[in-house]
Amino acid sequence: MAIHIPILIIISPLLSAFLVLLTRKYKIILATTSIIISILFISTLSSRILSGDKVTYHLGGWRGPLGISLVVDELSLFFSLIVLGLGLLVIIYSIPERRYGRTYYFLLLISLSSMIGISYTADIFNMYVFYELLSLAVYLLIAYNKKGMALRASFNYLIMGGVGLSFFLLGIGFLYAITGTLDIYHIAERLPVAFDSSTRMVIMSLVLIATGMGIKIAVFPLHSWLPDAHSMAPSPISALLSGITVEIGIYCLIRVIYSLFSTETFSTIISSSHTILIVLGVVTLLFGAGMALAQTDLKRLLAYSTINQIGIIFIGLGIGTELGLTGALFHVLNHAIMKGALFFCAGIMIAKAGTRDVQGLSGFNRQQPSIVFAFTIASLGMIGIPPTNGFVSKWLICLAAVEAGYTVLAVIILMASAITAAYYFRVIQVLFSGPSKQGPVLIHEGGQMIHEGNFFRTWTIYILVAGCLLLGIVPALGISMVKPAVSLLLSHVIP
Amino acid sequence: MGSSKIIKTIAQKLFPFIVLFGFYLISHGHLSPGGGFQGGVVLGTAIILLALSHSIEQTEKKFKSRWLNMLEKLGILTLIFLGFLGIFLGYSFLGNFLPLGKPGQITSGGLMLFFNIAIGIKVAAGVSVIFYALVRYRGEI
Amino acid sequence: MTPINISLLVFMIGLYGVMSKNNLIKKIIGLTIMNSSIVLFFISIGYRKAGLAPILEKGTTGGIPTIIVVDPLPQALMLTAIVIGMSITALALALIVRIYARYKTLDIQQLSKER
Repeated sequence: MAIHIPILIIISPLLSAFLVLLTRKYKIILATTSIIISILFISTLSSRILSGDKVTYHLGGWRGPLGISLVVDELSLFFSLIVLGLGLLVIIYSIPERRYGRTYYFLLLISLSSMIGISYTADIFNMYVFYELLSLAVYLLIAYNKKGMALRASFNYLIMGGVGLSFFLLGIGFLYAITGTLDIYHIAERLPVAFDSSTRMVIMSLVLIATGMGIKIAVFPLHSWLPDAHSMAPSPISALLSGITVEIGIYCLIRVIYSLFSTETFSTIISSSHTILIVLGVVTLLFGAGMALAQTDLKRLLAYSTINQIGIIFIGLGIGTELGLTGALFHVLNHAIMKGALFFCAGIMIAKAGTRDVQGLSGFNRQQPSIVFAFTIASLGMIGIPPTNGFVSKWLICLAAVEAGYTVLAVIILMASAITAAYYFRVIQVLFSGPSKQGPVLIHEGGQMIHEGNFFRTWTIYILVAGCLLLGIVPALGISMVKPAVSLLLSHVIP
Repeated sequence: MGSSKIIKTIAQKLFPFIVLFGFYLISHGHLSPGGGFQGGVVLGTAIILLALSHSIEQTEKKFKSRWLNMLEKLGILTLIFLGFLGIFLGYSFLGNFLPLGKPGQITSGGLMLFFNIAIGIKVAAGVSVIFYALVRYRGEI
Repeated sequence: MTPINISLLVFMIGLYGVMSKNNLIKKIIGLTIMNSSIVLFFISIGYRKAGLAPILEKGTTGGIPTIIVVDPLPQALMLTAIVIGMSITALALALIVRIYARYKTLDIQQLSKER
């Protein structure tokens, strides 16, 4: 049984997704149990993986380039742990809401299962299939409350995501035409040979895959679906989307660049792609920061802040040195924790105050000081102020920029952090001061109130904020989590 | 949405042949072009043909929405259960544990036949349920 | 005008449809055209000169056939891609039905003016 663990980690949420559709009473117990089983399975694997040994599993017994294999290495382990951790907290946060029926948990479990599938698979077409499955579940989750704006946001995301994944599939087609196989490690072996004979098709495939992933990651010119989609979704889903679903696109991009295009023949392509990553990162960073400054809707502000942080991750990836990659991957983990906490707090605040407008939340500190305190700590992390984890990752990326000779990048990151401070402090100031407005209590269809300051919700926020502070005060803990993945990536790159 | 007597009679007479063709596509998936998804869609279109030629209410009374939902969930649970059987009998997930017969016969290909049947039933139920859901607003908007 | 070039041309036509048409249903049609063009691309990659269909004829005793067949792997991949395209179309149409019931218009310029 122990040998089958990789596929069981993917199947456990998938199976319970379909079982949840059959029952009404046991849906929450099934959901949480399956995620906890997956976490237990992963912890049995982690000791083997962290010692440098990859865990491989061949589906159906078909080996080699003929079948689909699952390969769990340090990078996959890192991303799947973030998925499962944040997923468990999202499920716990959704427990008090009576409106979320079986379909909600079904879609949530399918999206978690497909995100783990994306990180484990070693077959590039399988990665496309899991990504489409994730996208379908997310389109439905965004439109879950069937309000008009949510439907339009979901449709917009559907069109752009469909186009993006079509580009990805076309890139896979080019790779198959050149190399004749779909397994990532076999493509990596055959690609340098094919590069001499058909150079333009190889470059074309990289460009198409990068464009497709760029639409899903929401870098600057291709970001327009993100503010609508992440702000119109229900709050736990916004936390999941901003926290990890966008970062799975970053995983795919890292996997393609570092596993496929990492040998010596591609060194010029890789160096120019690093330049493009840095430029895109800077533009995305400044754009997200600037647009967030102008927002009056709290969740839209947080969505533009996500675009901001994605820019920082791209800068870290583009620098490409050990410090840069460590900072970028650590920022993925921090962003999941902090943005999850921010969206969870925003959910409680919006439900209690009855409005999404920042001005309408004034004086919330008197109603629930603990939530406002958590919001403040998490936003200090996003800005990058010392005892929080956001400070550590931003500091690492700035240090990497200075070491690699791009001092102007460090200046730009600090400027953007100042703009981030501006818009977060504006919200915090409104929360602390001003007349306390008790908005109309939101009554939903069915006449049931949301239990706002419920035990489950506040404790998920406390866990996330505690993680935020812990990783900030003991940065060695976070860096040791990221180091195995970074050393794996650097071992691929032959200078 | 009633149609003329000719269309209703022809659709009724054609229905068993379309279902037979759908089951043929499903079960010969490993021998000739076809398979679970294709046969399932043909089965689904048989139900849609009935719904379009007769009235949708009549078809919904015969092929109830609740039954089709249950069939859909059963189909996918059968698939995952067959995958787990592969694990329990010592092979890997979705591994084949049935004997392979002579190539060219319907018993060759081991577990593929059962996968095709499970997927075929699920897709047939799924296509019909999608059709029912999309025509729910007919005439009202 | 090889089949690969034609499929890329159809891909561009579909992309033009998605970008520049105002009606929501026409955007879905453009997305479907893009999916179909990718199916055409994959199938034309798998073509081998003078290859037959990859089906075992009755009466063969098994083993690897010594005739030339076209590559069956892209065809199997495209079955999955067609299923995915169908699911996306079904989901998009369901969203369009709800959007029309709420806003009474399918024009994206008018929808973007709504609050």
